[in-house]
Amino acid sequence: MSRVSRRGVLRGIGVGILALGGVAALVRTSGYELPAHRRGKLRVLDAAQFTILTAIASRVCAADASDAPSIEETDVVGFVDSFAVSMPEKMKRDLLLFLSVIEHVGPLFAKHVDRFTSLGLSSQDAVLSALEANDEGLLRGGFAGLKALLFMGYYRDPRTWPLLQYDGPTISQVGSP
Amino acid sequence: MSIRSGSELRGQVNLQCDAVVVGTGAGGSIAARELARAGAKVIAVEEGAYCTSADFNQREEQMLPMLFQDRGGRTTDDLAIRVLQGRGVGGSTVHNTNLCKRTPDAILDLWHDRYHVTGMRAVELAPAFETIERDLSVAEIPIAMRNRNNDILRIGAEALGWRGGQLKHNRVGCQGSGFCELGCVYNAKQNALKVVIPQAVLAGADVLSDVRAVKVLHNANRVRGLRAEAIDREGRIVAEITIDAPVVVLSASAVGSAALARASNVPDKYELVGKRLRMHPGGVVAGRFKDEVCGDKGIPQSYECTEHLSFEEGSDRRVWITTAFAHPIGTASVLPGFGAKHMSMMRSYRHFSVLTAMLHDESMGEVYLGSEGRPALRYEMNRSDRLQLQKGLRACAELLFAAGAEEVVIPATPQVIVKSRRDLDRIDWSFGKPHSVPLTAVHPMGTMPMGDDPRSSVVNSQGEHHQLRGLFVADGSLFPTSIGGPPQISIYAFAQHLSPHIIARARH
Ligand SMILES: Cc1cc2nc3c(=O)[nH]c(=O)nc-3n(C[C@H](O)[C@H](O)[C@H](O)COP(=O)(O)OP(=O)(O)OC[C@H]3O[C@@H](n4cnc5c(N)ncnc54)[C@H](O)[C@@H]3O)c2cc1C
Ligand code: SF4
Repeated sequence: MSRVSRRGVLRGIGVGILALGGVAALVRTSGYELPAHRRGKLRVLDAAQFTILTAIASRVCAADASDAPSIEETDVVGFVDSFAVSMPEKMKRDLLLFLSVIEHVGPLFAKHVDRFTSLGLSSQDAVLSALEANDEGLLRGGFAGLKALLFMGYYRDPRTWPLLQYDGPTISQVGSP
Repeated sequence: MSIRSGSELRGQVNLQCDAVVVGTGAGGSIAARELARAGAKVIAVEEGAYCTSADFNQREEQMLPMLFQDRGGRTTDDLAIRVLQGRGVGGSTVHNTNLCKRTPDAILDLWHDRYHVTGMRAVELAPAFETIERDLSVAEIPIAMRNRNNDILRIGAEALGWRGGQLKHNRVGCQGSGFCELGCVYNAKQNALKVVIPQAVLAGADVLSDVRAVKVLHNANRVRGLRAEAIDREGRIVAEITIDAPVVVLSASAVGSAALARASNVPDKYELVGKRLRMHPGGVVAGRFKDEVCGDKGIPQSYECTEHLSFEEGSDRRVWITTAFAHPIGTASVLPGFGAKHMSMMRSYRHFSVLTAMLHDESMGEVYLGSEGRPALRYEMNRSDRLQLQKGLRACAELLFAAGAEEVVIPATPQVIVKSRRDLDRIDWSFGKPHSVPLTAVHPMGTMPMGDDPRSSVVNSQGEHHQLRGLFVADGSLFPTSIGGPPQISIYAFAQHLSPHIIARARH
């Protein structure tokens, strides 16, 4: 298969899945396990979605130096889970669907056949970069939306503000969800 | 004579009034006020909540979902353009950045000459503009309050000999906190929430928050009222409301009003409702400076560059440039890439100056009904606007270099980092298009345009629907074209100017 047509096919698969929601058929929800402290606590994400999102978040919010708090300290994935509770239904569906696309189809864009969560860190980065630069607007836009949500979870935490020398609100601090 | 939450209502509720206003932003607040002042019994319904300065807390992750449509996640259906719009009493005026400009004379002349709009030229609108500017305390932003980000734009424009100037605003007692887009905790914004809605209530208007209009009730040629749903904090419908009224004013924004008109099967012989959506989409360019810029502090926008802006239709100069600094979450979302490289860039937060090139767009999108009947937006940028975007991004980069930037970052994918002004000539700017650069639009308009020719407009020059007596539009939907600058003053003033016609109909 020529490079161009292979890309075309992959794009077609990704977009077709996004558009039709057919990924549900692809999703294997077994084999994903929640850490003990999360069991019974999540409001939107299931074990598979939590695992996939954690893997994505750890790459998207990967630190450049040791002074940066981790995604666990800032509870990025827990934030997204509670934020999603009152998302408009369609947006919530699209978000969950996109996680499955990244897990099952995303690796193909970086010439991998394993699931996203089974890849090594540099391969995961390659998958996310391929999605961010994808010719297909829905994949690119979907990744931008997911990235925005994860950064919301990360940079909402006052412990990240010293990295940016951001002073935060001018009024006294109010708790964050 | 109050602001009441619909979430307290239960079951079937029947109400009656002379006029019902849908939406309480720039247009709706004025329509409600003027109707109430004229002695009409008016009910204004607002789908969002009633929040005041006491509810704001300058936290992005909390204010975005609270104050914006779709919890801040509204986009065009191809996900290429983020569309920020307000939701709540006061509408988009609650979190806007308070820039105030009248509709350019050239635009009003164009509407008169090409779009059959009558009675809306500068001289005819002057009394309405004066009223609004007085009521909202519009004044030039003091130069002493210009922050460094805006001063960089001024320095760049002056160095290049480009046209620019200080802007006007509607703030009193501003503390320069820089958090305008998250609502003002100091209550300094002289907007619909603080000024106009209280005046409307004082004059006798009833405002129902947490009430979403779902259908304009009408027969073949006249309006009968409105059907609405009261919603609780979790978004559950707790009451169904029917309001009998001979007048319905659509002020739910260019997105909400068109979606409601479509959901109501409002007569639309020429298939114009929802079409011709314009929204001033804008891209950003960041310059890294050696010294701190601290763009998050102070009044966010106070200076503009209009060198590349002209109002002639089809002009090849349709870019309005101003500043666009965001708080950390907004900044992180726009910067390209992720992981360690992204974080390293974020560490320059204080050293970035950020400009935006907003298009006086000619592409025409559409508002339609998406899943669950919610408003959805389709917008494909045409070639001419793409070229304007490329021109605008380049102009921003030139301004930043002229003001002393060490490097310029264009948040495209893949990202573009430029080290000197000379390098700008070597760049192939064709990357400047939707999806390759993050675009944001904060000024939807034009979806139910006015004019006296029913073949090219939905409402007449008095704001009344061509076929449905008693159905008025008083919001950004009215504009026949985009206006190439901040629209709030136009919207407030058009509602003021059209209100005698609405009042006259309500009295019949
Ligand atoms: C971040 C940002 C910055 C901005 N900065 C500026 C600026 O500096 N200067 C400027 O001139 N303009 C600015 N604007 C734009 C300006 O605020 C808007 O153009 C203006 O407020 C639009 O007025 P409107 O009456 O058309 O709609 P809005 O003010 O948006 O009000 C519409 C209201 O209708 C409600 N509504 C929608 N659907 C329904 C329904 N079905 N039932 C009941 N209620 C409904 C909404 O919740 C909303 O409250 C900015 C906008 C944003 C988002
Ligand atoms: S800059 Fe002024 S108007 Fe804006 S939020 Fe701060 S005090 Fe309010």
